[in-house]
Amino acid sequence: MAVSGQPPVALFVRLKLRVMANNMRGKGWRIALFLVGLAFGLWWSVAGLLLLAAPGFTDDLDAAVLASALGGAVLVVGWVLMPLILFGVDETLDPARFALLPLRRRTLVTGLLAAAMVGIPALAALVATSGLVIAAALLGGWGAAVTQAAGTIAGLVLCVAASRAVTSAFATMLRSRKVRDLAVILLACLAALLGPVQIGVTALLSKADWDRLLGPAHVIGWTPLAAPYTMGVDVAQGRAWTVPLKLLITAATVAALLWWWSRTMESAMLGAESAGPAKAAPTGASAVAQLFPRRMPWLPRNRYGALVAREARYWWRDARRRAGLVTFAVVGVVMPVMINIGSGGLSGAASPVVVSLTMVFVGVLGAATLANQFGYDGSAYAANVVAGVPGAVELRARLAAFSTYLGPLLLGIAAMVAAFLREPAWIGVMLGSLGAAYGSGLAVNLFVSLHGAYALPETSNPFAVNTGSGVAKSLLGMLGLIGAAAVAIPIVVVTALAGDAPVWLWLAAPAGVAYGAGAAWLGTYLVGDMLDRQMPELLQAVTPNR
Amino acid sequence: MVKRFDAKVAVAGIDLDVPAGSFFGLLGPNGAGKTTTLSMAVGLLRPDAGTAWVLGHDVWSDPVRAKALLGVLPDGVRLFDRLSGPELLAYHGLLRGMDPAVVDQRARELLDVLALADAGRTLVVDYSAGMKKKIGLACALLHAPRLLVLDEPFEAVDPVSGALIRDILHRYVAGGGTVIFSSHVMEVVERLCTHVAIMAQGTIKRVGTLGEVRGDRSLEDVFVEVVGGRTATGEELAWL
Repeated sequence: MAVSGQPPVALFVRLKLRVMANNMRGKGWRIALFLVGLAFGLWWSVAGLLLLAAPGFTDDLDAAVLASALGGAVLVVGWVLMPLILFGVDETLDPARFALLPLRRRTLVTGLLAAAMVGIPALAALVATSGLVIAAALLGGWGAAVTQAAGTIAGLVLCVAASRAVTSAFATMLRSRKVRDLAVILLACLAALLGPVQIGVTALLSKADWDRLLGPAHVIGWTPLAAPYTMGVDVAQGRAWTVPLKLLITAATVAALLWWWSRTMESAMLGAESAGPAKAAPTGASAVAQLFPRRMPWLPRNRYGALVAREARYWWRDARRRAGLVTFAVVGVVMPVMINIGSGGLSGAASPVVVSLTMVFVGVLGAATLANQFGYDGSAYAANVVAGVPGAVELRARLAAFSTYLGPLLLGIAAMVAAFLREPAWIGVMLGSLGAAYGSGLAVNLFVSLHGAYALPETSNPFAVNTGSGVAKSLLGMLGLIGAAAVAIPIVVVTALAGDAPVWLWLAAPAGVAYGAGAAWLGTYLVGDMLDRQMPELLQAVTPNR
Repeated sequence: MVKRFDAKVAVAGIDLDVPAGSFFGLLGPNGAGKTTTLSMAVGLLRPDAGTAWVLGHDVWSDPVRAKALLGVLPDGVRLFDRLSGPELLAYHGLLRGMDPAVVDQRARELLDVLALADAGRTLVVDYSAGMKKKIGLACALLHAPRLLVLDEPFEAVDPVSGALIRDILHRYVAGGGTVIFSSHVMEVVERLCTHVAIMAQGTIKRVGTLGEVRGDRSLEDVFVEVVGGRTATGEELAWL
């Protein structure tokens, strides 16, 4: 007899908890990582709680409006952007695993949504936003507090739904060969949202002109970004009539997001990776000629050349790597422009040191894309182990292939920032800082990629990470960034000491690039030696458990 | 030539000689340690103790010479599947330090023989399971190794391709090559192998030529007896 009826939502939550617990069973370092993540999350959430509750203690209604509207908006935008740019999403419960079960789409979506609410980020957000409840209670009494408590929970649902819907949509788009260019542009627009936020925060800090922000804050309060978070303040201000409207806005947004998510989830469950029988026409070109990209005619037809060619093809063909590359391209262009314009607005003019520092940041961030380069390969890396590729050759080939993408990109960023600042003479300093930072970053990330390698789940979602490895990923990424920046700092110091000296403006580029190249070469030499001795262990580390 | 394993992970101490020129079948139920054993033998997994020798070269202390003689088709391991078939073959050939002209010629022949030439520029990730096995086998054969280590080469392969692969392997052994492969399909092993080893729970239970292991019974009977399986009585699953 076939069993009918749909499982309750609680089952999905229990399943997620069980999978999380099993992942940690008997693995001390995973438990440690989880606890570190929990500590970080609580630290930030308590800071957020105090900040959001502060207007209640000072009895300042205007400040409460600002805190709830702006804080809420930052939270929602952060939930959408962070998984795309930094952390990835936790796919402990991969939708594809449910494809064969007789579940209604509605059951699956609500179940997965409930499961997604279980985790450190959701807990941290809930703790932080309960600061709004405290503020509402102090300002407007019980009625306001209860309203805001409902709003806070609704807001969390909104955040999680938005984050899931957006990453799932991007994953679908980046998988499909037809619309991936569109996805790139959309991702660029999303990341560009960071710009206005940055300018807004800078302006806020510099002028402290709170009154001028009250108007926009009221408007934001009526958008899905902050509607659930401003209800308590509205009640405290005697405008209880807004509550049902704002609840309606929130509910409608959540419903729309869930509908969107369920649509893209279906394509993920079907595994729409196949490009179909396209490109099936046999070509006359020989096998070797097909392997080597036409834009790299200089590659030698030997082991090193084959490694570079394969890596170069992979950076574009593998959705996960492409996502990393595109994300860096967007952030790498937007951030330096915004920081330099922002700081220029503050102090009147940008300085070579600030420019140099931002370039160090860009270079280091670019190299950090390699932090888990072997994890991208997964068990396919076995081919190189079986062939016995020497470690140094392997690493040099990987750096060369990655740099054929990053090199032009970094040059473009330097030129663009120089053009924006109308300081063409600084391009030497910029290139020097970029070169030094990128080279140091490569060296440090080679080390990280060998010793901190972890397996990525075999799903088709390029943003997916396993529970726990999200924490590992961000910690290792931080470590790589800090280490690389430390190695590159001499260039900034020299720039600070030399100031505008014309000699340095000319000398910086060759000196910095040579410094970076030397660091990267040393990295391949040292880490290559370690890799020679650890190939089977590395393969084990990047092979996903099944 | 001696090839010896002695390790204990999921594999609790194995000592195995694979004679040169033999067609060696490694039999065992799921979870017996076949894949672990073969992984340790080819240098994919470091044994806790012991080592493996390939035609006189130690895989773990002299990996370059040993690996040059080896052709490997691992199971449950992805290929670099974002390459097309010809690209993947070229990659493997050059990785082995072969001459590009030789790679081109052999790749064309292999793709023709294995009926993969029609796939053209389709990426390996979009191949069917059987095609993936075949392109993996082509990668293992490309550099004309003296020893082939194949993990479940007949799984997911259709009967026509299976017959083709059997022919190729037969000719390879006749030409002086050595094949060791794992399987749990008795018919294939019985038809192909000169030597057989039966593994269960991480140890070798029986080993020898096919005749020695089988005696006058069928290989399947011996296997079930050694592994200790149960037989269905017809009472269970009555609701099905």
